[in-house]
Amino acid sequence: MNAFRMQCKMEIKRVLRNRYFVFWSLMMPILFYYIFTKVVNTDNLDPATWKAHYLMSMTAFSVMGSSIMTLGIRMVQERTQGWSTFIRLTPLPDPIYFSAQMVGQSIIHILSITIIFLAGAIINKISLTPLEWFLSGLWLLLGSLPFLSIGTLIGLMKKVETAAGVSNVLYMVLAVCGGMWMPLEIMPKTMQSIGHWLPSYHFGSGAWEIVQGGMPSWKNIVILFAYLVVLMILSKYIRRKQEAV
Amino acid sequence: MMSEVLRLENVTKSFKHKIAVNQVSFSIKKGEVTAILGPNGAGKTTTISMILGLLKPTTGDITLFNSQPQELHVRQRIRTMLQQVSVMPGLNVNEILMLIRSYYLEPLPLTDLIHLTGLTEQDLKTRTEKLSGGQKRRLNFALALAGNPELMIFDEPTVGMDITSRHHFWQTINTFANQGKTIIFSTHYLQEANDNAQRILLFKDGSIVADSTPQQIKSRISKKAVSFLTDPDTSLEILYQHPEIEKIFRKNNRVYIYSDHTDRILELLFQTKIGAHDIQIESGNLEEAFSQLTGENKEVI
Ligand SMILES: Nc1ncnc2c1ncn2[C@@H]1O[C@H](COP(=O)(O)OP(=O)(O)OP(=O)(O)O)[C@@H](O)[C@H]1O
Ligand SMILES: [Mg+2]
Repeated sequence: MNAFRMQCKMEIKRVLRNRYFVFWSLMMPILFYYIFTKVVNTDNLDPATWKAHYLMSMTAFSVMGSSIMTLGIRMVQERTQGWSTFIRLTPLPDPIYFSAQMVGQSIIHILSITIIFLAGAIINKISLTPLEWFLSGLWLLLGSLPFLSIGTLIGLMKKVETAAGVSNVLYMVLAVCGGMWMPLEIMPKTMQSIGHWLPSYHFGSGAWEIVQGGMPSWKNIVILFAYLVVLMILSKYIRRKQEAV
Repeated sequence: MMSEVLRLENVTKSFKHKIAVNQVSFSIKKGEVTAILGPNGAGKTTTISMILGLLKPTTGDITLFNSQPQELHVRQRIRTMLQQVSVMPGLNVNEILMLIRSYYLEPLPLTDLIHLTGLTEQDLKTRTEKLSGGQKRRLNFALALAGNPELMIFDEPTVGMDITSRHHFWQTINTFANQGKTIIFSTHYLQEANDNAQRILLFKDGSIVADSTPQQIKSRISKKAVSFLTDPDTSLEILYQHPEIEKIFRKNNRVYIYSDHTDRILELLFQTKIGAHDIQIESGNLEEAFSQLTGENKEVI
């Protein structure tokens, strides 16, 4: 048990010291949020709705980023630098190692969500009911699962450089086309129809619904779940193929 | 049986087109210090990886503490230092040592680890990715000792160490050996095997070609010789008649006598009073033995 606690603690320390994480998952979303709600004028939308909406977009953007990039790149790093082999040779049971990473990652997400929510509340004095704060945070935490499985897929890559490149591009494409930077409604029709099939759109959409007093739709849940299942099967398949060689 | 730590029975490992380890069997008792020698590609790393459970033997059995290599209670008792230095980015040396120590039931105290490996206070606060090559090796050594293992397996542990670190390393290993720990290491430095191991397993092309003490290997292979100085005018004829002498010749004023019974030759020298002085006994060296057994030149060892 001591090993599990220690492992969680060290995993969290490592993520917080990672400059990628601090930049992409904390500073960027808060900066963007500031710019697009304070500096740039978006007067064709209802200001109060927009401020809450965009806070959810940016928090989703952050959580998605640390799921895909931080997890994926770190997995490749650990493997190429021999750390995974090292761990395999210690008496630490695999399930403990794996669950400590998951717990560590979730704590990091809770932390990011809290910090960005706080920043939003301070910057724009957003008033949501405690239940809305809680539910949207919970949605963002659970909805990150398909993105964590994208992260583990990226983690199967051979080189850190490819993993970093691919995850960066994927991250940006998912964010833009999923309406996290700009609402899909103001984008061209083709973009909209693509966006409606992306996990990032449904991830954001669930949270947008909650802050407008609604609930995530079934479609949001089903599509995210479908992505999760497909990605998990895919990564299992690839891992088996890699082991066979 | 009780004191047997490791046993390999007819272990073979073949990769696609290549048999890396071929029908290898040996067993190691508690407290033994064993060196694995052999030219590049002889199968040392492959054998060690199988013992550690990183590779599965194609055929044959490996038992450690009467169990399979992968079992957790085995992992509690063995430790290694791989050829590739592994560090975990994002943590400093102190944190990483604390983390690894938490995996073990009876870890070595941190102060002992620092003392044994020569890590400094400054090193402890340094992030692992910022360590120099030698400091990384020291950390790696500390990580190997962290769990206070009963069996330590090292694949070329001293590659890249400077003389001080190397000295320090072997001193520590000998301390552990004296405490009754079992140690297995591979090396290309024959002197290290000679000085630190009680037993040598010599690999060639995936098989063991010699398994005995360094002394036995040396005596089995190379001829022993007695050499001495004497007045160039002295006749050596009196020595020629003795059957123990295999060969005798002069080189730069020094007389060399080859024989398996060097004690007997010494006796002869004193009896015959031919004025032999500055007598030396050459008992053959490991490098010579090594190159004879493996058919390799010294340069490629
Ligand atoms: N993963 C692998 N796939 C195919 N062949 C391999 C693999 N690993 C090792 N071999 C081959 O098996 C043989 C033994 O390799 P091994 O690494 O055990 O040698 P070694 O004794 O450790 O050599 P060195 O002194 O160079 O470290 C070599 O011929 C090598 O090419
Ligand atoms: Mg090797």
